Amino acid sequence: MITRQEMQKAADFIRNHVKADDFNFSIGGAEELFTRFAQNGITQHIAGDKINVNLNVSFENKTGEASSNNLKEDALKHLIKTAESMAKLNQPDPEFVASEPAHDLPDVDNFSRKTADLKVEKIVDDILKCVKNAEGKNAKLSGISEKRIQNSFLTTKNGFEGFDQSTSFAHSMTMKREGVETKVSRSVKDHSKFNLDELIGQLNSQFGSLKNPVQIETGKIPVILRPAAVLNWLFYLIWTYDRRTADEGHTPFTDQIGKQFFGKDFTFRSRLDDPDLEASKFDNGGIPAENIDWIENGVIKNMSADRYYARQNNLKALRPYNIIVEGGETSEAEMMRIVKRGVIVNNFWYIRPVDRKTGEWTGLTRDGVLYFEDGKIQKSLTNFRWNEILHKATKRILALGPVVQQEYYAKIPTLLIDDFNFIDVTTF
Amino acid sequence: MDFLSLAMNTAKSLGADYADIRIQRSSTEMIFLRNLSLKNTSLNEIYGYGIRVFKNGAWGFAHNNVFTEDAINKTVKKALVIAKESGRVKYGNGLTLAHERGYIDSYKTPFNLDPFDVPLSEKVEMMMGTNKTMLSFAEIKRAVFMLECRKDEKLFASTLGSRLDLQTLYIEPTITATAVTETDSQSRTFSQGGQARGWEWVQSLNLADKAVQISEEAIMKVHAGSLGAEERKTLLLDPNHMALTMHESVGHPTELDRVLGWEADFAGISFATPEKIGNFQYGSKIVNFVANNKLEGGLATAGYDDEGVPNQKWYIIKDGILQEYGNTRATAPIIGLEMSRGCNRATNYFDFPINRIPNLYLEPGKELLTPQELIADTDNGIYIEGRGSFSIDQHRVNFQFGGDMFWEIKNGKKVRPLKKILYKSNNPEFWNSVDAICDDRSFQTFGVTNCGKGQPGQRGRMTHGGSLARFRNIRVGGSQ
Repeated sequence: MITRQEMQKAADFIRNHVKADDFNFSIGGAEELFTRFAQNGITQHIAGDKINVNLNVSFENKTGEASSNNLKEDALKHLIKTAESMAKLNQPDPEFVASEPAHDLPDVDNFSRKTADLKVEKIVDDILKCVKNAEGKNAKLSGISEKRIQNSFLTTKNGFEGFDQSTSFAHSMTMKREGVETKVSRSVKDHSKFNLDELIGQLNSQFGSLKNPVQIETGKIPVILRPAAVLNWLFYLIWTYDRRTADEGHTPFTDQIGKQFFGKDFTFRSRLDDPDLEASKFDNGGIPAENIDWIENGVIKNMSADRYYARQNNLKALRPYNIIVEGGETSEAEMMRIVKRGVIVNNFWYIRPVDRKTGEWTGLTRDGVLYFEDGKIQKSLTNFRWNEILHKATKRILALGPVVQQEYYAKIPTLLIDDFNFIDVTTF
Repeated sequence: MDFLSLAMNTAKSLGADYADIRIQRSSTEMIFLRNLSLKNTSLNEIYGYGIRVFKNGAWGFAHNNVFTEDAINKTVKKALVIAKESGRVKYGNGLTLAHERGYIDSYKTPFNLDPFDVPLSEKVEMMMGTNKTMLSFAEIKRAVFMLECRKDEKLFASTLGSRLDLQTLYIEPTITATAVTETDSQSRTFSQGGQARGWEWVQSLNLADKAVQISEEAIMKVHAGSLGAEERKTLLLDPNHMALTMHESVGHPTELDRVLGWEADFAGISFATPEKIGNFQYGSKIVNFVANNKLEGGLATAGYDDEGVPNQKWYIIKDGILQEYGNTRATAPIIGLEMSRGCNRATNYFDFPINRIPNLYLEPGKELLTPQELIADTDNGIYIEGRGSFSIDQHRVNFQFGGDMFWEIKNGKKVRPLKKILYKSNNPEFWNSVDAICDDRSFQTFGVTNCGKGQPGQRGRMTHGGSLARFRNIRVGGSQ
């Protein structure tokens, strides 16, 4: 895998040979191992190192960008020539922003030696353990284990220089037998904090609770969204949670900064100081990461903004680098007693915008749905389609569970939400 | 010795049961223009090789970008080591590969003007002009032009003796105008997706005229009304819209790896299981879906797939009945097939080839019928153009689609534009509701360049097509 020294050497070459007025030069290196299994056998197994070398140059406000996967001097010369030729042929960009100067970067450790040293034999041993568990239930198991080590480097003409090294390990698995299927997944930056037995236990518990799913009538039904479902939804919130598109009138967030737009129980942050979560030190433009309150007790505090828009509007250039949703203390058993009846959803699937302006989204449930009444789980259900204005749904939060680490970049609670808009059912 | 031969000789000498190598150079030019600001003007070139080794019924795949004898040999060994590890958790009694022979051949996408030879300044000037046209309309607040040109040059060799030289190319221009009022924001897009053609195709699109049309329609749309609560209605779906519905509701369910459960953990599985082959009424009797990886301009047209199987043409659905799947050398034998249909494709050199949708289209109607005649023959319905919201369950049964432009049809005429329209349906109800398909004079294709599938994810491409078709008794309504 490419080292910091090799990255530094390439950066020196770029500095000495670029003729353009300004430049951003970045290198991303990764060592990856993907072990994919399906129907109780490994079907795909990939190993290799990747590298992405990117140069963005400008002559005044005319820009050009070239990228490759080669750090040899000839390749770097070609990169410079390509980017500079493009910039010279280009038209001026009225939204051009000069590259970042030197910044102090946060002191964050995104690297784990335990993850980096993980061997393929151990990964296959663990998959075998999971498969044997499924075979013991006459079920089929499909999933993937992913190990990744990444090095990121960025330097600019104006003096920024940053290096970050990170690791991650992820394991997901779907167990299926006849009409029952359910999934668990977890990712961590430090493999020593990955508890396979606990994950198998969760899979078995979910699988055991699902039997002979039946359809019920659709409508506005209280829902307990488990953390995977909440996180899946948040990805889509983040996708549209941009200051410029809000100011230009394309999303429901127009003119809502500083206002109580979400439910008062909904708080969403990015944090540098959580030891379990990755927090990349700087973004691809060289903006250092900082603690950000995005939504606090339902009030919109900050939204994503790029460097141009931030500069034009006297804002901070911000991006979500990890996801923390504040939780509560209500257990799932207690949630089932708060409402007369409702459904428990393990995950969502295929969420897409229906109307970006109103913030209406559609999606389906996945990985198991349970019906509860009078404080007890009564039966398994087939999957639903829902159409819901999700920011309004946060105003119907009735209770929050404790926060759990769902991914190496996310801590999420279970939410009990009243009157979720289930509009259709599917056949399984 | 050349690298191809070296890799194959090393694999054989180490005891591989089968191996192949794909040396691939991929060049992608992206230009993204928004409101006259060039947000991205880039050229990406990546070059490397991926080596698959098959040993005792299991795969190993390793990739590298270092072209030395030592690196090639190490990469083969790495692939073999992890193939042996895969063999510790075998699929059944081990995978087998469908019969195939070696080929010595070449393929090149036919074109006149290579888009990479067209000066950047010429492209940007054309894009700026289009952007200015859209922004000349007062209510158009956002004008976007995205242009992607991609070229893949592959050298493939296998232990079956194949030596293939394959060069493919596509271009994808997309323009979008967004109209904004005090209370709403609505977009309209012109796109035919990606097409495996030269720059002469872009020149033939009359994008300046299209910019005027979509700006006018975006403004019309932002001021349009919608429908109320859902009710059963007739739908007329244009080929551009249908490309997406067939991709999601026919293409993906008939990928054999999904059918077998190989995508169960992520992309999902399929309701179209093997016992349905030859007897399942997937669509009405006039519904015929053709898989054709020899389609001119098709994005899956490449001479051969990424395991050296020649491109082919076959029926997925014939007279409404499910006939066959798209498959690969590892998936075909599992349902008793001797040969692969050649649908194993990878995006970049470091990607493991996976079972992909072929070029897939709805055969035009056999009776002479124009879109104007079909509209005139429809008393009360909704005409949908282009792609909008789309969502389908992981078994590919229940789906909900929007669109890019909607028109109400009354008494055989388009009477008013609409917005925020959704329809819901299921497989096999949807394709069985087709009662009319226009003839081949209005047949159009649409190339999908962003089909997300696989773990790790890959961005696949294929082409869909059809003629305007009518669907009866579908649940249609307005959004909230």
